[in-house]
Amino acid sequence: MTLSVRSLLAGAAAGALLLSGAAEAQEKHKIFLSMSYIGNDWQAEAANMVKAMAAHPSLADKVDLQVQVSGPNAQRQIQQINAMVQSGANAIVVFPISPTALNQVVKNACDKGVVVFAYDAEITEPCAYNVHIDQEEAGRVTAEWLVEKLGGKGDIVAVTGVPGTSVDDLRTKAAKEVFAKHPDIHIVAEAVGMWSQAVARTELAKITATRNWDEIDGLWMQAGCFTANAMQLEAGKTPEQLLPCAGEGANGGRIQMLPVGTEVEGAAIPYAPLGAPRISYASPPYSGGLALKLAVEVLEGKEVPKTTILPLPVVTNDTVKLCQEGTWEEMKAGCNVFQPSLVSNPGWFASIFSAATPEIGLNAALVGQPEG
Amino acid sequence: MTVPASIPTRPGWRRHLGRSRGAIIAGAVFLLLLGLVDWVGAGPLTYFDVSFLASGGATLALAAIGQTLVILSGGFDLSAGAVISLVNATLASHMDPMAMDASVPLWTLAGIAIGCAVGAFNGFFIAVLRLQPIVVTLSTMFILQGVTLLVMEKPGGMISPSLGAFYLGDAVPGWLPMPVVVIGVVLLLWAWLKGTRFGTALYATGSDPEAAAAQGLNVTLTRFLTYVIAGGCYGLAGVFISAQTGSGDPLVGNPLLLSLFAAVVVGGTRLGGGQGGPLGTVFGAYVLMMVVNILLVLNVSAYYSTIAEGTILMLAVLAGSLSRDAPLATHLRALRSWASARAAGTLPSALPATDRRLRLPAGSARTATLPSYLSRHAETLRFAIPAYVCLILVVAVTQAWLGAAVFSWNYWNALLVLSSFLAVLALGQGAVILTGGLDLSVPWTIGLSGILLAGIVNGSDAALLYALPFVLILAVIIGLANGIGIVWLGVSPIVMTLATNGVLQGVALLYSQGTPAGFSSPMLRWLMTGKLLGLTPVVLALALFIVLATTLLGRTPFGRRVYGIGNGLRAARISGIPVERTLILVYVLSAVCAALVGVMLTGFSGQASLGMGDDYLLPSIAVVVVGGTLITGGRGHYLGMLGGVLLLTALQMLLAGTTLPYATRAIVYGLVILGAVLALREKRSH
Repeated sequence: MTLSVRSLLAGAAAGALLLSGAAEAQEKHKIFLSMSYIGNDWQAEAANMVKAMAAHPSLADKVDLQVQVSGPNAQRQIQQINAMVQSGANAIVVFPISPTALNQVVKNACDKGVVVFAYDAEITEPCAYNVHIDQEEAGRVTAEWLVEKLGGKGDIVAVTGVPGTSVDDLRTKAAKEVFAKHPDIHIVAEAVGMWSQAVARTELAKITATRNWDEIDGLWMQAGCFTANAMQLEAGKTPEQLLPCAGEGANGGRIQMLPVGTEVEGAAIPYAPLGAPRISYASPPYSGGLALKLAVEVLEGKEVPKTTILPLPVVTNDTVKLCQEGTWEEMKAGCNVFQPSLVSNPGWFASIFSAATPEIGLNAALVGQPEG
Repeated sequence: MTVPASIPTRPGWRRHLGRSRGAIIAGAVFLLLLGLVDWVGAGPLTYFDVSFLASGGATLALAAIGQTLVILSGGFDLSAGAVISLVNATLASHMDPMAMDASVPLWTLAGIAIGCAVGAFNGFFIAVLRLQPIVVTLSTMFILQGVTLLVMEKPGGMISPSLGAFYLGDAVPGWLPMPVVVIGVVLLLWAWLKGTRFGTALYATGSDPEAAAAQGLNVTLTRFLTYVIAGGCYGLAGVFISAQTGSGDPLVGNPLLLSLFAAVVVGGTRLGGGQGGPLGTVFGAYVLMMVVNILLVLNVSAYYSTIAEGTILMLAVLAGSLSRDAPLATHLRALRSWASARAAGTLPSALPATDRRLRLPAGSARTATLPSYLSRHAETLRFAIPAYVCLILVVAVTQAWLGAAVFSWNYWNALLVLSSFLAVLALGQGAVILTGGLDLSVPWTIGLSGILLAGIVNGSDAALLYALPFVLILAVIIGLANGIGIVWLGVSPIVMTLATNGVLQGVALLYSQGTPAGFSSPMLRWLMTGKLLGLTPVVLALALFIVLATTLLGRTPFGRRVYGIGNGLRAARISGIPVERTLILVYVLSAVCAALVGVMLTGFSGQASLGMGDDYLLPSIAVVVVGGTLITGGRGHYLGMLGGVLLLTALQMLLAGTTLPYATRAIVYGLVILGAVLALREKRSH
């Protein structure tokens, strides 16, 4: 096939596939999002926020965003990032499956002038930009809260994340260091929670089969406090008897933190105000959206630090506050939990506010629509 | 290749072509996809692009070559991904970070040696002790995952750049990338091996182990060596991924497992052994990796990607079965002859209905007394009891260690509730396995059913009345799709159900837009978490289910047909079993069971979440096999599978109640499964 025929055919194919025209593409930054596994709530929410950010009027004319999913397989993400570089990416925003396995391919992308941003998890290759929270801080702060709540004494259950990942390792080790300083705190059972409310439930059911709720004084969980409270109610506990739980930032868990009797729309036990003693932290799903925004800034020549440590979102019973609509303005004023009538999935992650991203609010996280 | 003159019907080259048809078609599909990427992509493919593609698929291709050998010998290896992780973790944690030019041959040999050692472990239990490959390699997988985490608890470490420079470099700069050479060398080694006595024995063992043994081949040694060589291939794949990534990650190889099987099947190797070869597998592996590029150049949106991927996988396999003797063509011919027989009035149903049975002399048939219960069921008991014996041991340990088991009502109630999910899944997966198949669409059948149910029910008991039938009917459709694809289109069960799983995942994402809404109704929640006479209501339902399941498999014509098919497809067909219909029904049963589990999980958790079924695929296979079912079909009892369910659940409850580190738990879990099946050894005499 001669070159001219081929380019003609390629042009026809591109037209047929409704790819953006060549003239337009030159003005826009071609940015790819490489997601890992799309089949869980956090990933989907983060992807929605990236899409909303790209659709915001301030970026819509500048950014041509393509979203691709690699699945949980690092090999495929390597191949995918290569393919993105080959197809002329200006920037790649990536949720890295592995902090180390992508190093070579990311380095290669950097060498070709592609800006690479990792969100939530980290890429250790120095040329990559990282946007994430301090995982050790997350483990430490939550553990310290639990120790204080228990008065430095008690039997606790720990439910961790995905074993073999850096995030889980950093959080769990930091928490255990805190617990080790208090000889009267005993971890009596430890389960692998995989950062999933569903897994947390089966694991807690296994633990409480051999250990009564009365024999436990507190819970330290990377995800699952909402479920743990629901299970205690099922076991006949009253809201006043709920155990202190240090855990994730699911909307359901934060609704439970509101004092009993708070008026919320669409509440149904256990997704209802219970006055549950909690500290709620999160690895916020807006990190992908922020990474996209920063990537555009880099492409426009601004200085952006290689590592952006996000402030750790922490909500306790003293600071929990209900949002009425969930606009960015309203969240800026301090609300941090949403009406069940708006967010019907209690496992949905509520830490979506960042002072740095006025472009995206509740609608961004729910349906990928930017703020008006 | 020379052909003896005594076979005049087909010339040698045609016979040869026919035999490697699978590989040729996989190669053609690969070239087609490559052409597509080149055509639609941004620019013409350069040497640079080709070099990238070559290194991108090399890990999968190398490991899949090993898997191919195992499958050719009639086996199955679930430990492949774990070996890759172990090699990567070992290399990354043992290389000196300061040594920039570590010896490539030395570390390559180290990786291969680790793989061979694991292969020898597998081979010992499978070939020498005659345990089922799937359960031995499943145990090995758990053990290795634990060991890998002991070697390296989180990503890190350092692989010397010399490895990367060697494996990712050029053999001939500008012309030949090194990964192609590495794969080529492995394929050449195989070509040599295939010509030796071992190669012949490998194919013969896979085709028919008894005939191979009768011919004087050493089946035990052949199987053992196959696992060792396959382990070496995984080890080499681990070395390659280390070179490629330059560092270590203890989880890096685990998700490759399903892709490995898909690569083997796309490459034209038949599951169950005896037919196919590594060349096709290499093309199969590259086809799978090219899908990533295809999705990118076509800009397939994220929610559709799993659907598109499943479709490509199926089309690739279907392309390989377009021939005269393909199942679809055979079925069409059968349909035509049925139609002409109908027109001629010679169908059995059109013939006059007179009793044509042989007249046996009266009274001779039923005079002998039945043998005792024990001797009639000796075989079933021998394979079902080990799981229960191990269960008693685990409960005893729980009592001794955690001091709360035997005398606690709460413990038994929790055990049964937690077992109920796998107990239901075991019926569906068990029936599929009894016919010699495998259902990999379980995870997202569970997920989609749960999400749909929660979305429709949305907390209302009244809505449950129509939501439940809706979800179950949907499951019937899913099962029909699986069954029809497998039976009529002749797609291998692994590929068909894997593709269905991808499609279902896409549908679930599109329906939920990534955020599953709705929650379980009070009644459903009561069923899974409430109390009735001190028991959770689902325990009573479980008792009913066990009776029904045992009856279905043991006492109905359907059940007997399932066993008949598992014992031999041809024999079953000749005996008048409606094979097609039964097979389709088996997949329908499996999908309905999975949907029930989706409903139960939604009630248990109160709401549905994406990926809620992911943790149930491997356990659903494990419990069936631990319960004494033969993975190649035809043997097994539901009560045995139930024993497997209770054993694994009790073991998990014991481990969850401790503070053992996860690595240790994984090792214990693997060892207990292995111990439980040691009693299932096949006797030497066939």
